[in-house]
Amino acid sequence: MDPESLLALVETAHPTLRRRPLTDRPAVSVAPGELLAVMTTLRDHADLRFDLLITHTAIDYPGENRFELIYLLYSTVHGHWLIVAADVDRTRPVAPSVCGLWPIAEWQEREAYDLMGVLYDNHPDLRRVFLEDDWVGFPLRKDYQDEYMLELPK
Amino acid sequence: MAITRLDAAINLARSNSLWPLMFGTKCCAIEMLMATGAAHHDLARFGAEVARASVRQADLMVIAGAIVKKMAPRMRLLYEQMAEPRYVIATGSCAISGGPFMYNSYTVVRGADEVVPVDVYVPGCPPRPEAFFWGLLTLQRMIREGETIREPGVRRKPVMAALPEDVSLHEIRAEIRAALANENVIDVTQAANQKPWARKVREWIQRASLR
Ligand code: SF4
Repeated sequence: MDPESLLALVETAHPTLRRRPLTDRPAVSVAPGELLAVMTTLRDHADLRFDLLITHTAIDYPGENRFELIYLLYSTVHGHWLIVAADVDRTRPVAPSVCGLWPIAEWQEREAYDLMGVLYDNHPDLRRVFLEDDWVGFPLRKDYQDEYMLELPK
Repeated sequence: MAITRLDAAINLARSNSLWPLMFGTKCCAIEMLMATGAAHHDLARFGAEVARASVRQADLMVIAGAIVKKMAPRMRLLYEQMAEPRYVIATGSCAISGGPFMYNSYTVVRGADEVVPVDVYVPGCPPRPEAFFWGLLTLQRMIREGETIREPGVRRKPVMAALPEDVSLHEIRAEIRAALANENVIDVTQAANQKPWARKVREWIQRASLR
Protein backbone atom coordinates (compact mmCIF):
# COMPACT_ATOMS: atom_id res chain seq x y z
CA MET A 1 0.00 0.00 0.00
CA ASP A 2 1.38 3.45 -0.77
CA PRO A 3 2.10 5.69 2.23
CA GLU A 4 -0.75 8.11 1.58
CA SER A 5 -3.53 5.53 1.51
CA LEU A 6 -1.88 3.64 4.35
CA LEU A 7 -1.98 6.75 6.55
CA ALA A 8 -5.54 7.50 5.47
CA LEU A 9 -6.63 4.00 6.41
CA VAL A 10 -4.92 4.19 9.80
CA GLU A 11 -6.49 7.57 10.45
CA THR A 12 -10.01 6.42 9.67
CA ALA A 13 -9.58 3.54 12.09
CA HIS A 14 -8.27 5.82 14.85
CA PRO A 15 -9.19 9.48 14.32
CA THR A 16 -7.16 10.70 17.30
CA LEU A 17 -3.85 9.81 15.65
CA ARG A 18 -1.57 12.56 14.41
CA ARG A 19 0.52 12.22 11.29
CA ARG A 20 4.13 13.19 11.64
CA PRO A 21 5.53 15.34 8.90
CA LEU A 22 9.06 15.12 7.48
CA THR A 23 9.73 11.44 7.94
CA ASP A 24 11.07 9.15 5.24
CA ARG A 25 8.59 6.44 6.16
CA PRO A 26 4.94 6.97 7.10
CA ALA A 27 4.79 7.85 10.77
CA VAL A 28 2.07 8.57 13.32
CA SER A 29 1.95 9.74 16.94
CA VAL A 30 -0.44 8.27 19.45
CA ALA A 31 -1.25 8.96 23.08
CA PRO A 32 0.14 6.24 25.37
CA GLY A 33 -3.37 5.48 26.59
CA GLU A 34 -4.42 4.51 23.09
CA LEU A 35 -1.26 2.67 22.17
CA LEU A 36 -2.57 -0.85 22.73
CA ALA A 37 -5.79 -0.28 20.82
CA VAL A 38 -3.94 1.26 17.88
CA MET A 39 -1.35 -1.50 17.82
CA THR A 40 -4.04 -4.18 17.89
CA THR A 41 -5.74 -2.59 14.88
CA LEU A 42 -2.45 -2.29 13.06
CA ARG A 43 -1.65 -5.93 13.58
CA ASP A 44 -5.08 -7.42 12.93
CA HIS A 45 -6.73 -5.20 10.29
CA ALA A 46 -6.87 -7.22 7.08
CA ASP A 47 -5.44 -4.40 4.96
CA LEU A 48 -2.69 -3.48 7.42
CA ARG A 49 -1.43 -6.72 8.97
CA PHE A 50 1.69 -5.33 10.63
CA ASP A 51 2.90 -8.70 11.86
CA LEU A 52 6.54 -7.81 12.54
CA LEU A 53 7.86 -5.41 15.15
CA ILE A 54 11.25 -4.57 13.69
CA THR A 55 12.46 -2.47 16.56
CA HIS A 56 11.36 -0.57 19.58
CA THR A 57 13.37 2.11 21.27
CA ALA A 58 13.04 5.28 23.30
CA ILE A 59 14.41 8.79 22.89
CA ASP A 60 15.06 11.10 25.80
CA TYR A 61 13.98 14.76 25.57
CA PRO A 62 14.86 16.16 29.00
CA GLY A 63 14.07 19.74 27.93
CA GLU A 64 10.50 18.81 27.07
CA ASN A 65 10.22 16.38 29.98
CA ARG A 66 9.23 13.41 27.85
CA PHE A 67 10.41 10.12 26.45
CA GLU A 68 9.41 9.31 22.94
CA LEU A 69 8.77 5.61 22.40
CA ILE A 70 9.35 4.51 18.83
CA TYR A 71 7.92 1.37 17.27
CA LEU A 72 9.01 0.42 13.77
CA LEU A 73 6.50 -1.93 12.18
CA TYR A 74 6.63 -3.97 9.01
CA SER A 75 4.06 -6.11 7.30
CA THR A 76 5.41 -9.28 5.74
CA VAL A 77 2.00 -9.74 4.11
CA HIS A 78 1.72 -6.38 2.34
CA GLY A 79 5.33 -5.24 2.49
CA HIS A 80 4.68 -1.79 3.98
CA TRP A 81 6.26 0.07 6.88
CA LEU A 82 4.95 2.30 9.63
CA ILE A 83 6.58 4.17 12.46
CA VAL A 84 4.48 4.64 15.58
CA ALA A 85 5.60 7.13 18.22
CA ALA A 86 4.16 7.70 21.68
CA ASP A 87 5.19 10.30 24.23
CA VAL A 88 5.35 9.40 27.89
CA ASP A 89 5.97 11.68 30.84
CA ARG A 90 9.65 11.71 31.81
CA THR A 91 9.02 11.93 35.54
CA ARG A 92 6.63 8.97 35.47
CA PRO A 93 7.53 6.96 32.37
CA VAL A 94 4.90 4.24 32.24
CA ALA A 95 3.70 2.73 28.99
CA PRO A 96 1.59 -0.31 28.14
CA SER A 97 3.58 -3.34 27.05
CA VAL A 98 2.99 -4.71 23.55
CA CYS A 99 4.40 -8.14 24.41
CA GLY A 100 0.97 -9.66 23.94
CA LEU A 101 0.93 -8.56 20.31
CA TRP A 102 4.52 -9.23 19.34
CA PRO A 103 6.44 -11.55 21.70
CA ILE A 104 9.79 -10.05 20.59
CA ALA A 105 8.76 -6.82 22.30
CA GLU A 106 9.62 -8.51 25.57
CA TRP A 107 13.34 -8.15 24.81
CA GLN A 108 13.09 -4.75 23.22
CA GLU A 109 11.14 -3.36 26.12
CA ARG A 110 13.62 -4.84 28.55
CA GLU A 111 16.35 -2.98 26.70
CA ALA A 112 14.44 0.30 26.83
CA TYR A 113 13.87 -0.27 30.53
CA ASP A 114 17.52 -1.14 31.08
CA LEU A 115 19.00 1.90 29.39
CA MET A 116 16.24 4.51 29.62
CA GLY A 117 14.17 3.45 32.59
CA VAL A 118 10.83 3.29 30.80
CA LEU A 119 8.43 1.10 32.75
CA TYR A 120 6.06 -1.22 30.94
CA ASP A 121 2.69 -2.27 32.30
CA ASN A 122 2.00 -6.01 32.10
CA HIS A 123 5.48 -6.91 30.97
CA PRO A 124 6.06 -10.52 32.09
CA ASP A 125 9.72 -10.13 33.09
CA LEU A 126 10.93 -6.54 33.34
CA ARG A 127 14.56 -7.01 34.41
CA ARG A 128 17.81 -5.48 33.24
CA VAL A 129 19.16 -7.15 30.13
CA PHE A 130 22.60 -5.67 29.31
CA LEU A 131 23.76 -4.07 32.53
CA GLU A 132 24.51 -5.78 35.80
CA ASP A 133 21.52 -6.36 38.04
CA ASP A 134 22.90 -4.03 40.70
CA TRP A 135 23.43 -1.10 38.35
CA VAL A 136 22.09 2.18 39.67
CA GLY A 137 20.43 4.55 37.20
CA PHE A 138 19.64 4.44 33.51
CA PRO A 139 22.73 5.34 31.49
CA LEU A 140 21.19 6.43 28.19
CA ARG A 141 19.26 9.21 29.87
CA LYS A 142 20.85 12.49 28.92
CA ASP A 143 21.38 13.54 32.54
CA TYR A 144 22.96 10.26 33.67
CA GLN A 145 26.00 10.63 35.92
CA ASP A 146 28.05 8.24 37.98
CA GLU A 147 31.18 8.61 40.05
CA TYR A 148 33.39 6.72 37.59
CA MET A 149 32.43 8.72 34.50
CA LEU A 150 34.73 11.50 33.27
CA GLU A 151 33.39 14.67 31.73
CA LEU A 152 35.08 15.75 28.53
CA PRO A 153 37.13 18.83 29.48
CA LYS A 154 35.97 21.92 27.63
CA MET B 1 76.21 -19.74 38.13
CA ALA B 2 74.24 -22.88 37.45
CA ILE B 3 71.05 -21.10 38.37
CA THR B 4 71.81 -18.24 36.02
CA ARG B 5 72.32 -20.65 33.15
CA LEU B 6 69.17 -22.54 34.06
CA ASP B 7 67.34 -19.22 34.12
CA ALA B 8 68.58 -18.38 30.68
CA ALA B 9 67.44 -21.72 29.34
CA ILE B 10 64.05 -21.52 31.02
CA ASN B 11 63.48 -17.96 29.92
CA LEU B 12 64.45 -18.81 26.38
CA ALA B 13 61.95 -21.65 26.38
CA ARG B 14 59.24 -19.49 27.91
CA SER B 15 59.77 -16.60 25.57
CA ASN B 16 59.64 -18.74 22.45
CA SER B 17 56.55 -20.71 23.33
CA LEU B 18 53.98 -18.18 24.44
CA TRP B 19 50.51 -19.62 24.23
CA PRO B 20 47.99 -16.84 23.83
CA LEU B 21 44.47 -17.07 25.15
CA MET B 22 41.64 -16.88 22.62
CA PHE B 23 40.17 -13.75 24.06
CA GLY B 24 39.12 -10.67 22.15
CA THR B 25 36.81 -7.97 23.33
CA LYS B 26 36.47 -5.60 20.42
CA CYS B 27 37.64 -4.57 16.94
CA CYS B 28 41.35 -4.93 17.88
CA ALA B 29 40.78 -8.68 18.18
CA ILE B 30 40.21 -8.87 14.44
CA GLU B 31 43.66 -7.46 13.87
CA MET B 32 45.49 -9.01 16.82
CA LEU B 33 44.21 -12.55 16.88
CA MET B 34 42.67 -13.14 13.48
CA ALA B 35 44.82 -11.19 11.02
CA THR B 36 48.09 -11.96 12.80
CA GLY B 37 47.21 -15.61 13.19
CA ALA B 38 46.34 -16.03 9.52
CA ALA B 39 48.78 -16.95 6.80
CA HIS B 40 49.70 -13.50 5.51
CA HIS B 41 51.26 -12.21 8.74
CA ASP B 42 51.61 -15.56 10.48
CA LEU B 43 52.05 -15.41 14.22
CA ALA B 44 53.62 -18.87 14.03
CA ARG B 45 56.91 -17.29 12.98
CA PHE B 46 57.31 -16.13 16.58
CA GLY B 47 56.20 -19.35 18.19
CA ALA B 48 53.05 -17.85 19.64
CA GLU B 49 50.37 -19.25 17.37
CA VAL B 50 48.95 -21.88 19.69
CA ALA B 51 45.90 -19.90 20.72
CA ARG B 52 44.15 -21.86 23.42
CA ALA B 53 40.48 -21.74 24.21
CA SER B 54 41.16 -22.67 27.83
CA VAL B 55 42.82 -20.34 30.30
CA ARG B 56 44.46 -23.29 32.00
CA GLN B 57 46.61 -23.91 28.96
CA ALA B 58 47.45 -20.31 28.10
CA ASP B 59 50.12 -18.04 29.49
CA LEU B 60 49.71 -14.93 27.36
CA MET B 61 46.63 -12.76 27.51
CA VAL B 62 46.30 -10.33 24.63
CA ILE B 63 43.79 -7.73 25.69
CA ALA B 64 42.51 -6.71 22.28
CA GLY B 65 39.90 -4.06 22.78
CA ALA B 66 37.96 -2.09 25.33
CA ILE B 67 37.09 -3.65 28.65
CA VAL B 68 33.64 -2.75 29.88
CA LYS B 69 32.60 -2.73 33.50
CA LYS B 70 30.65 -5.94 33.03
CA MET B 71 33.67 -7.66 31.47
CA ALA B 72 36.25 -6.47 34.00
CA PRO B 73 35.53 -9.00 36.78
CA ARG B 74 35.34 -11.80 34.21
CA MET B 75 38.66 -10.78 32.74
CA ARG B 76 40.21 -10.67 36.19
CA LEU B 77 38.91 -14.19 36.77
CA LEU B 78 40.43 -15.42 33.51
CA TYR B 79 43.72 -13.80 34.42
CA GLU B 80 43.78 -15.46 37.79
CA GLN B 81 43.03 -18.85 36.26
CA MET B 82 45.88 -18.63 33.79
CA ALA B 83 49.00 -20.73 34.24
CA GLU B 84 51.93 -18.97 35.88
CA PRO B 85 54.12 -17.25 34.78
CA ARG B 86 51.53 -15.29 32.85
CA TYR B 87 52.02 -12.32 30.61
CA VAL B 88 49.67 -9.61 29.43
CA ILE B 89 49.87 -7.49 26.30
CA ALA B 90 47.38 -4.64 25.99
CA THR B 91 46.84 -3.60 22.39
CA GLY B 92 45.08 -0.52 21.11
CA SER B 93 44.13 2.73 22.74
CA CYS B 94 41.00 1.21 24.27
CA ALA B 95 42.94 -1.32 26.29
CA ILE B 96 45.62 1.23 27.17
CA SER B 97 43.50 4.13 28.38
CA GLY B 98 39.90 3.71 27.32
CA GLY B 99 40.79 5.43 24.06
CA PRO B 100 37.82 6.98 22.29
CA PHE B 101 35.62 5.96 25.21
CA MET B 102 37.61 7.71 27.87
CA TYR B 103 35.14 10.54 28.38
CA ASN B 104 31.38 10.46 28.88
CA SER B 105 31.22 6.70 28.77
CA TYR B 106 29.20 4.86 31.34
CA THR B 107 30.72 1.46 30.65
CA VAL B 108 34.30 1.43 29.43
CA VAL B 109 37.08 0.89 31.98
CA ARG B 110 39.86 3.41 31.43
CA GLY B 111 42.68 1.03 30.66
CA ALA B 112 43.02 -2.70 31.15
CA ASP B 113 45.70 -2.04 33.75
CA GLU B 114 42.97 -1.00 36.16
CA VAL B 115 42.03 -4.67 36.17
CA VAL B 116 45.18 -6.75 35.56
CA PRO B 117 48.89 -5.91 35.48
CA VAL B 118 50.09 -5.33 31.93
CA ASP B 119 53.60 -6.13 30.64
CA VAL B 120 53.60 -4.54 27.21
CA TYR B 121 51.39 -1.87 25.71
CA VAL B 122 51.04 -1.69 21.95
CA PRO B 123 49.60 1.64 20.82
CA GLY B 124 47.39 2.10 17.78
CA CYS B 125 43.74 1.99 16.82
CA PRO B 126 44.06 -0.78 15.91
CA PRO B 127 47.81 -1.46 15.90
CA ARG B 128 49.03 -2.96 12.67
CA PRO B 129 50.00 -6.64 12.83
CA GLU B 130 53.63 -5.52 12.53
CA ALA B 131 53.17 -3.34 15.58
CA PHE B 132 51.71 -6.26 17.45
CA PHE B 133 54.67 -8.41 16.45
CA TRP B 134 56.94 -5.68 17.69
CA GLY B 135 55.11 -5.80 21.01
CA LEU B 136 55.41 -9.57 21.09
CA LEU B 137 59.14 -9.40 20.37
CA THR B 138 59.47 -6.82 23.12
CA LEU B 139 57.72 -9.15 25.51
CA GLN B 140 59.99 -12.02 24.47
CA ARG B 141 63.01 -9.85 25.10
CA MET B 142 61.66 -8.83 28.48
CA ILE B 143 61.09 -12.46 29.40
CA ARG B 144 64.61 -13.44 28.38
CA GLU B 145 66.17 -10.63 30.36
CA GLY B 146 63.69 -10.64 33.18
CA GLU B 147 62.54 -13.17 35.68
CA THR B 148 64.72 -15.60 37.58
CA ILE B 149 63.43 -18.75 39.17
CA ARG B 150 64.66 -17.51 42.52
CA GLU B 151 62.27 -14.59 42.46
CA PRO B 152 59.27 -15.65 40.46
CA GLY B 153 56.97 -12.81 39.59
CA VAL B 154 59.60 -10.08 39.78
CA ARG B 155 59.91 -8.65 36.32
CA ARG B 156 60.92 -5.65 34.33
CA LYS B 157 58.59 -2.71 34.36
CA PRO B 158 55.85 -2.51 31.74
CA VAL B 159 56.84 -0.82 28.50
CA MET B 160 55.12 0.93 25.67
CA ALA B 161 56.22 -0.94 22.55
CA ALA B 162 55.57 1.40 19.67
CA LEU B 163 56.93 0.39 16.31
CA PRO B 164 59.82 2.79 15.50
CA GLU B 165 58.45 5.79 13.69
CA ASP B 166 60.41 5.60 10.49
CA VAL B 167 59.51 1.98 9.75
CA SER B 168 56.70 1.63 7.26
CA LEU B 169 54.66 -1.36 6.27
CA HIS B 170 56.06 -1.01 2.79
CA GLU B 171 59.63 -1.28 4.03
CA ILE B 172 58.91 -4.31 6.15
CA ARG B 173 57.23 -6.04 3.21
CA ALA B 174 60.11 -5.17 0.90
CA GLU B 175 62.62 -6.49 3.40
CA ILE B 176 60.76 -9.75 3.85
CA ARG B 177 60.40 -10.12 0.08
CA ALA B 178 64.12 -9.47 -0.46
CA ALA B 179 65.05 -11.93 2.26
CA LEU B 180 62.83 -14.54 0.66
CA ALA B 181 64.30 -13.87 -2.75
CA ASN B 182 67.97 -13.74 -1.81
CA GLU B 183 68.47 -16.05 1.09
CA ASN B 184 65.77 -18.61 0.96
CA VAL B 185 66.06 -19.81 -2.62
CA ILE B 186 67.68 -23.18 -3.12
CA ASP B 187 68.14 -25.50 -6.03
CA VAL B 188 66.35 -28.62 -4.85
CA THR B 189 68.23 -31.10 -7.08
CA GLN B 190 71.56 -29.63 -6.19
CA ALA B 191 70.73 -29.57 -2.50
CA ALA B 192 69.50 -33.15 -2.63
CA ASN B 193 72.67 -34.33 -4.36
CA GLN B 194 74.87 -32.68 -1.77
CA LYS B 195 73.46 -34.73 1.06
CA PRO B 196 75.98 -37.23 2.46
CA TRP B 197 73.56 -40.07 2.00
CA ALA B 198 73.03 -39.16 -1.60
CA ARG B 199 76.75 -39.39 -2.19
CA LYS B 200 76.91 -42.71 -0.41
CA VAL B 201 74.03 -44.12 -2.47
CA ARG B 202 75.71 -42.94 -5.66
CA GLU B 203 78.90 -44.75 -4.64
CA TRP B 204 77.00 -47.97 -3.96
CA ILE B 205 75.34 -47.80 -7.34
CA GLN B 206 78.67 -47.19 -9.03
CA ARG B 207 80.31 -50.06 -7.20
CA ALA B 208 77.42 -52.37 -8.01
CA SER B 209 77.50 -51.46 -11.69
CA LEU B 210 81.25 -52.09 -11.83
CA ARG B 211 80.80 -55.55 -10.44
S1 SF4 C 1 41.80 0.66 19.99
FE1 SF4 C 1 40.58 1.10 18.16
S2 SF4 C 1 40.59 -0.83 17.00
FE2 SF4 C 1 41.23 -1.30 19.11
S3 SF4 C 1 39.39 -1.91 20.18
FE3 SF4 C 1 39.66 0.30 20.52
S4 SF4 C 1 38.45 1.26 18.90
FE4 SF4 C 1 38.77 -0.87 18.30
